[in-house]
Amino acid sequence: MKRPVDVLVLDDESVVCDRLKDHLDNKGYHTEIFEESQRAIDRLADKWFDVVITDLRMEGPTGLDVLHFVRRHCNSTQVIIITGYAEMDSAREAEYSGVFDFVTKPFSLKTLEAKVKKAARKARRLKDKETP
Amino acid sequence: MILGKLGFLSRRKAQTVARLQERLGSFRDLVEKNDRVLELIAEASEKLGGEYIFDSHYLQTLADDLREAVHAVVHDLTVVTGEPYPELLKALAAADARIRAALDSRIIVPEAEYVIPLDQVGTASTDVVGEKMARLGAIRARLGCRVPAGFVVTTHACRHLLDEIGATESAEELDRLGEDDGDQLAQCAKRLQQRVRRATLPRGLSRAIRRGVTRLEREHRCSRFAVRSSAVGEDGESSFAGQYKTVLGVEPENVCSAFQEVVASLYDPHVVRYRLSRGLPPGRGVMAVGCLCLVPAEVSGVVYTLNPASVEDEDLLVVAARGLGKVVVEGDGAVDRFTVARQPPHQVVDSTIANKETMLVASSGSGLAEDPVDEKLREEPAVRGPRLRELAEMALRIERYMRCAQDIEWTVDRDGQLFMLQTRPLKLPLPEPGLRDDLSEIVKQYPVLLNNRGEVSCRGIAHGTVHVVEDVEAAEKVSPDTVLVARTATPKLAGGLSAASAVITDHGSSTGHLSAVAREFRVPMIVNTQIATEVLEDGVDVTVDAEENVVYRGRVEELLRYELRRQSLFQDKPEFRMLRSMLHAIAPLSLRDPQAPEFTAASCSTYHDVIRFAHETAITALTEGELVSRSSDALGVRRLALPIPLDLTVLDLGGGLTADAKDRVVGIDDVTSRPLRPLLEELTADGVWDTSPAAMDLNGFMSSATRSTPLTGPAAARPEPNLAIVSDRYLHLSLRLGYHFNIVDTYLTETRNDNYVHFRFAGGVTELARRSRRAALLKAILERYDFAVEGTGDLVIGRIKGVSATTMVARLRMLGRLIGFTRQLDIFLRDDTLVERYLEDFLTALPHASRAESFKGDG
Repeated sequence: MKRPVDVLVLDDESVVCDRLKDHLDNKGYHTEIFEESQRAIDRLADKWFDVVITDLRMEGPTGLDVLHFVRRHCNSTQVIIITGYAEMDSAREAEYSGVFDFVTKPFSLKTLEAKVKKAARKARRLKDKETP
Repeated sequence: MILGKLGFLSRRKAQTVARLQERLGSFRDLVEKNDRVLELIAEASEKLGGEYIFDSHYLQTLADDLREAVHAVVHDLTVVTGEPYPELLKALAAADARIRAALDSRIIVPEAEYVIPLDQVGTASTDVVGEKMARLGAIRARLGCRVPAGFVVTTHACRHLLDEIGATESAEELDRLGEDDGDQLAQCAKRLQQRVRRATLPRGLSRAIRRGVTRLEREHRCSRFAVRSSAVGEDGESSFAGQYKTVLGVEPENVCSAFQEVVASLYDPHVVRYRLSRGLPPGRGVMAVGCLCLVPAEVSGVVYTLNPASVEDEDLLVVAARGLGKVVVEGDGAVDRFTVARQPPHQVVDSTIANKETMLVASSGSGLAEDPVDEKLREEPAVRGPRLRELAEMALRIERYMRCAQDIEWTVDRDGQLFMLQTRPLKLPLPEPGLRDDLSEIVKQYPVLLNNRGEVSCRGIAHGTVHVVEDVEAAEKVSPDTVLVARTATPKLAGGLSAASAVITDHGSSTGHLSAVAREFRVPMIVNTQIATEVLEDGVDVTVDAEENVVYRGRVEELLRYELRRQSLFQDKPEFRMLRSMLHAIAPLSLRDPQAPEFTAASCSTYHDVIRFAHETAITALTEGELVSRSSDALGVRRLALPIPLDLTVLDLGGGLTADAKDRVVGIDDVTSRPLRPLLEELTADGVWDTSPAAMDLNGFMSSATRSTPLTGPAAARPEPNLAIVSDRYLHLSLRLGYHFNIVDTYLTETRNDNYVHFRFAGGVTELARRSRRAALLKAILERYDFAVEGTGDLVIGRIKGVSATTMVARLRMLGRLIGFTRQLDIFLRDDTLVERYLEDFLTALPHASRAESFKGDG
């Protein structure tokens, strides 16, 4: 049987974490949720995730910092950034640093799930190339 | 005319025109902001359905955007009319405050009686009676559960007490303290508790409580009371369970002090610390208090509708003790445990019988006492098969009604009658990750009746028997296991919806009124499926999965159990509660009829009311004031030359007429307003204006009468100026045709959620019977075309919204024809049988194709 897709969700609002975990777990993903970005980064240092979904603006390391960490240390992991709608400028900056996609709050579960699915496929493809 | 005279005084004329232009500019802005507010309300309401992820920032932004737009509307109104609206500003400030309170998770306590009898609690808001008592009232009213007699001391009474003794101010001091101020916090909280306990109750309040007690003593021979907290908001009962005080065995003369004791538990240091740990202001909080007859209990206990220790099993768990149930709830006594099958006939799967040496009873004085259990009964089961079956049936009914697994307290009195004391959501371990995915394999074995048709407007999973709604009025009374299936999402279904297990419609949108009601009552709902009424037959057993948008034939047990087991329904998240509570101050519309005496600034209680009032008042100022009745090139006012004898003035706000329409008189071809064009085309089509009922192929019926009657009725009135205020997508049309007054207010774009038509018909010169026949006919026609219709006597108001542009065009054409049709209808409606005939004639005359086509456009 295929290994389930591992997803890390980071958002300082528990409602976002809880609802995404509820939805993604029920769709067969393995989801870990974090409300503090440093803890998420520590976890990313320990474990490889297919997809990281992160909020942009948080206390401590921001979503951009998380993205940079992933790009340096977790090659094939794909990052989806959640932005509030007034934050698109910094979001564009992120675009250049290899983010997979953006999603603007509020967003529908369907939209997000479609993005996660695509991101996971890309992550697996890259991962397979890395490990012949 | 006035402008003409002013022509001699060119400076003053220029000033007047400038002033008029300013007012018109403000009106344009008002219309735009009005639409923006409606759009935001629709979007926000949709967010409650569960499909969207949003956070508190969204709520803040939403509140800011709405506030800005609504205040702009009110400002524009003052410019358009040149009047101040102090009452409107007051209403607006009150709505602002309620929204701010919702955002701060503060509870705004509604005005209410001090005391409400439990048998009248059924429809009371949880903000008034608290969650515990609201649920108890609901299962009594909705499910016919037997509950103890009693009354609720409302949140209003509690707040009044706290305000009177200055506790509210002192609680603010508590709010300023943090977790580091441990000792100070505890001391401050204790002082507040003392103050509440020692307070002299406001006289009106103590009198109301005593009256309630006396009534229970007299009517129910009640001698001891249970005084229970009933918390409000802040995650309510689920997270504050057990933190607030309950006093049992209270003597009548001590009920007031027990009430104070329970209210004082708002400031119990544990509660205060708990609030703080959850990020809530520690000093805030308000509760209602239930005062119930203490049932002289033979046996009491708890039933869980799923066994938390083995949720995979299809069992209920029943725990029972002799006497009062305190030992069961607090878990500190010898109790019997029964595992009972959820499936009928609810067999006992397993049981453990304890040696119950003592039991709790109401003592002869105040409070409780421990009595020895009769030796013969000590090792006997406290309840047996038939009672367990009764409990299981009742518990599962409550579970179905509440839509999630329940934790229910019950008791049996000395006469063997079963009472429900309390019900609340049961906390369960989280479902395994991937459970839903596994389910997708399992559900493949069930026949699918509808798959991904239309849109989900409230997520959830439910089971029931299909009831295809033929008669909307009859849908008021539905049983809890009914899946309502209807052609349209008409607001008239709202009455039956709260009791239904799910709702599916052929047409309608997730931003419609009925969808909002479904979200309010958490009823899973799928709209706009196009084919539900064809595919789902009356009486068929179905499972509605409004998570994945699938309807299965039969009972899909796995899905239903998955739904019951979800740890916390999304609706219980604080952000959902906040949004729900914000929307209460934003969305409901109580000002429906502009001609009604209650259509006043002071009656506005929500943002929706405020913009409705402002829009209507501005329109009236424009149509009845001097602004438009005098044509002025500078304002872009034109006269429309029509092939029918109708004098129509058009005021273009932008894009409603072609740029070439420079002349003061323009033709239909110059009309570019999307809503006005089709309506006029139909109104001026061959035979429509002339189409008096007699000419509609009624086999010559009444034809002579038609010819001999002037078009405007027996006593033709002076022609009134008719006005269309238009933009490329907006139309406000006021038509005074003879003695009838029609208003069409509509917005038409490609975004279906923004589209609406509001049609109003009033007036008429004939006697009352004919007028009401005409109203009945209009109502029937509008309902055939999916309008939500209301009105009394001679007045008919029809509304439709959230439909596609194609449907909108078809509806506006229909209204064009209807306006022509009804010009003088009342004159002919001599008896009731003619109503049905004219209805058929109207439907036949309007090509059926236009209706069918329009529905395709909704897909």
